Amino acid sequence: CALLCPAPSACGGAERTRRAGGPGLGGDFQLLDQEGRRRCKADFRGQWVLLYFGFTHCPDICPEELEKLSRAVRLLEREPGLPPVQPLFITVDPERDDVAAVGRYVRDFHPRLLGLTGSPEEVQAASSAYRVYASAGPKDEEGDYIVDHTIFIYLLGPDGLFLDYYGRNKTDAQIAHSVRRHMESYEPVLE
Amino acid sequence: AVPCGVRGLPSRGCGRRMGRGALGQPLFVFRSVAKMSAPTMEERKACWGARDEFWQCLDRHADDASKCEKLRLSFESRCPQQWVKYFDKRRDFLKYKRKLETEGYHPPEAAGKS
Repeated sequence: CALLCPAPSACGGAERTRRAGGPGLGGDFQLLDQEGRRRCKADFRGQWVLLYFGFTHCPDICPEELEKLSRAVRLLEREPGLPPVQPLFITVDPERDDVAAVGRYVRDFHPRLLGLTGSPEEVQAASSAYRVYASAGPKDEEGDYIVDHTIFIYLLGPDGLFLDYYGRNKTDAQIAHSVRRHMESYEPVLE
Repeated sequence: AVPCGVRGLPSRGCGRRMGRGALGQPLFVFRSVAKMSAPTMEERKACWGARDEFWQCLDRHADDASKCEKLRLSFESRCPQQWVKYFDKRRDFLKYKRKLETEGYHPPEAAGKS
C-alpha cells in the first residue's frame, strides 16, 4: 500500500465522515497479513469488510466470534447478486501473534479470512482507530496471559468507512441481514 | 519430561508445564514446537469438552468439586493454566448471574447507614 491517503479528496472527506452519522471511526492501518504482505486500509477500498479484533490465545470468545463472522459471510455468499464480503482479523496481541501464528489461526475459520498483525505500535494504531480497548493481563509462570478486549464485529463499506458493529448478542443471521440491508441502501460518501 | 524453550535441549517432543493439578502434581502437555504457540482448533475443542464434562459433573453434584476430581484433572490437563483460571471465574460468574435471575438482587448491608 502506497500512501496513507490515496487521493487528497479522500482525505478531505474526513469532515463528511463525521457528518455522515456516527463517529469518525476507523482511521488507516498498516499491517502485515499471514503471507507477510503489507496491507493498509486503502487496499480494501471497493470491498465490504467484516472486521474482528482478537488474539490467538483467546480461550473461547474469539473462536466463537470468528466462527459466527465466518457463518455470516457464508450466508451472504449464498445470496446471488451480492458483492463478496472480506472477513478480516486483526490481533490485539502483537507480542505473541506474529505472521506465522496468525496464519495458523485464521485457516480454521474461513478460507478467505485474512489475518493482520504488525509491530506493537502499528497494532496499537489500528486498534485505537476503531476504539478497541485491549489490555494484556498478568503473565503466569508459563508466560501465558489473557488479553482483555472489547468484542465487536465491525462492518466497513467500500469507501472504507465504518458503517455498523455487532456485539456478542447478534447472531450470524442477524449480521448477514444487517449487511444485506446496508448493501441495498449503500450510497458512497467519499469519492 | 524435557522442558520446552531451554537452550541445548531438543524442542521437538518437549513437554510444556501446564501448572499443577488438583493433587499438586505437575502437569505436562507435549508439543512439537518450541515457542508456546496458541492451542489449535482440535486442542481448543478438547479443552472445551473436558471443561463441559467437569461442569456437568458439578451441576449433578450441586458444585461439590470433591465428587468430580477425575474430571477436574482431565480439564486441567487439556487446557492451558490461564484458561483453567478463566473458565473457573466464568463458572462463578454464571452461577452468580443465575442466582440474580432466580433470587433477585440483594444489596449488601452498608457499614454505616445514614
